[in-house]
Amino acid sequence: MIDLLIVGAGPAGLRAAIAAAENGLHVSIIDEFVKPGGRLLGQLHEEPDGSWVNGVEEAERMYHRAIQLGVEISTGVSVYDLAETPAGWSIYTTDGVRESRCLLLATGASETPIPIPGWTLPGVMSIGAAQVMGNVHRVKPGHKGVVIGVNVLSVAIAREMQLCGVTVDRIVLPAHNLISADASNPEKMMESLLRLSHLAPSSLMKIGGKFVSPKLAARFYPRNGFKIWGIPIQLRKTALEIIGEEQVRGVRIAAISATGSVIPGTEEIVDADFVCIAGGLTPMAELAAVAGCRFHYVPQLGGHVPLHNERMQTTLKGLYVAGNITGVESAKVAGAQGRVAGLSIADELGVLSAAGKEKIKEAVDQTVHTRKHALIQFNQGIEEARHALYTEFQQLTDKKISV
Amino acid sequence: MKSMRVQEHPILGNSEKKEAVTIYFDGKPYTAYTGDTVASALLASGVRTLRKHEETASPRGIYCNIGHCFECRVQLNGSETVRACLTTVADGMYVTSLTLPKGASI
Amino acid sequence: MTNKETVICRCEDITMREIQETVERFQCSSREVKLRTRAGMGSCGGRTCRGMVDKLVEQLGGPPISNEIALSYRPPVRPVSFGVLGGEEK
Ligand SMILES: Cc1cc2nc3c(=O)[nH]c(=O)nc-3n(C[C@H](O)[C@H](O)[C@H](O)COP(=O)(O)OP(=O)(O)OC[C@H]3O[C@@H](n4cnc5c(N)ncnc54)[C@H](O)[C@@H]3O)c2cc1C
Ligand code: FES
Repeated sequence: MIDLLIVGAGPAGLRAAIAAAENGLHVSIIDEFVKPGGRLLGQLHEEPDGSWVNGVEEAERMYHRAIQLGVEISTGVSVYDLAETPAGWSIYTTDGVRESRCLLLATGASETPIPIPGWTLPGVMSIGAAQVMGNVHRVKPGHKGVVIGVNVLSVAIAREMQLCGVTVDRIVLPAHNLISADASNPEKMMESLLRLSHLAPSSLMKIGGKFVSPKLAARFYPRNGFKIWGIPIQLRKTALEIIGEEQVRGVRIAAISATGSVIPGTEEIVDADFVCIAGGLTPMAELAAVAGCRFHYVPQLGGHVPLHNERMQTTLKGLYVAGNITGVESAKVAGAQGRVAGLSIADELGVLSAAGKEKIKEAVDQTVHTRKHALIQFNQGIEEARHALYTEFQQLTDKKISV
Repeated sequence: MKSMRVQEHPILGNSEKKEAVTIYFDGKPYTAYTGDTVASALLASGVRTLRKHEETASPRGIYCNIGHCFECRVQLNGSETVRACLTTVADGMYVTSLTLPKGASI
Repeated sequence: MTNKETVICRCEDITMREIQETVERFQCSSREVKLRTRAGMGSCGGRTCRGMVDKLVEQLGGPPISNEIALSYRPPVRPVSFGVLGGEEK
């Protein structure tokens, strides 16, 4: 029996392990990916001061620190089931059953697809798949690609692909259907694009700064888009269908009005050997559901999240969550939450000194601070939504105590 | 064909030199490098189709590349079904497409 | 190919049209859509399509997405071989 088992070796899991092991806990991490680091591995962002955040290096640093502290990390192992036991938790993995006093789920997020006719063809992949191919495995997703869907991830990863020597022909909106909804509407996408202006200040301010409203901006948006880092972002073009027989050959696109209707006679075929679909992220909370956690549906956090408090406790004893499983945010926020979880668990297991307890509060404040200053903001209203969630948790536990 | 490998990178630096190994996919040999996944090694050799859909026979390849979608499942060394995107290569590894017609020789 | 022939569940090859027809005909929830069409019952455990099915049902006038998870998760959340399930270790 160990003190803490962590599912997920992303920034949340690694930082939790470090915080817990620094306080003397015996910690193991399990991850099904080929190496530790989670989705941080593929990330490459340019800070406003021109420096680069290299996810591979950051992950290595955390990994070495964890190993130094005696944390055991198994990769290539999947967790498929969990059960509460009198002493803690049983964790069922493809490498046997593990027992632990506390359990932290730091399983991250998964990508939300946008279905487009032809999207099952080989060569069509999620935008994150291309990021991992290029930056982690160092293999190009293809030579020339079209990205479907405009959001913070697609714009950031389009640039990363370009750095890998891949031609990103253009970024267009997805065909309109019941699922793509707002993602296929130029006015709505103009609004969200303007919120990304800090990522590419000069080019976005050029277009955004001219207009008072996103509506007007969408209306007068140049037909062929404008370029960020040389990549045309075409809010007035839609991907109707991905074509090919055995694999992707191209994309059938058409011009659309400011509100998204296809303009007849504008269809054309763009050649491409790969296509990326960018539909956003959603917390991957399947193990929390299997464990029996209570859930809340919070669109600002990306979907269903296990109910938890700011100390990362769930409604189940000894079960904690941290990182994107609690809501989609950047890697730095996930790491900050991990630290909170590691300290809270050390507290539950009674190894924190009075000074240690003070650290939990500091770590919670640090998470809020990191969130506020994160370069990549996936959604708006995250802090408010979290506040509401934590209040809900508090009310629920108060009720339980009074019963 | 232009190489699919990202040898040089302005920020990530040059790829480390890795040991070359041979893997077999549906009987054909492909060069891979230690640390590659089956999916990345095959893509680097231009192979995108990993299986055919069991009922409709539509071709499928990787979609998520991180183990979530199970589109990349292949058979390893004639027994286990694994996700090609989560399986690292080893010399002599024998990978088969799950939809090879029954009795076909490989 | 019309927009309606778009595949939603990649594992079971279930199209948007099939799901739409099912919802319209039976006025049903995501759970019932899953049972009737098999959408979400394939190898990936519905990880890829569950959100799309929920959204389709909601858009077509079915029950809105709520705090409850409509398509429940059942273990194993990853397919495991019989050997592993039987307690035999790798
Ligand atoms: C494809 C993708 C691309 C992203 N790109 C960016 C980006 O460019 N910039 C950015 O700021 N954010 C990005 N994000 C958001 C990202 O989730 C956060 O930045 C951060 O990595 C979250 O950290 P985490 O520790 O919560 O989870 P992750 O980093 O996702 O780590 C979770 C780990 O858990 C493992 N795991 C999950 N389930 C199991 C299981 N059942 N058994 C075993 N192991 C399991 C996974 O293999 C994974 O390694 C991306 C997310 C995704 C999904
Ligand atoms: S590509 Fe999705 S599981 Fe491998």
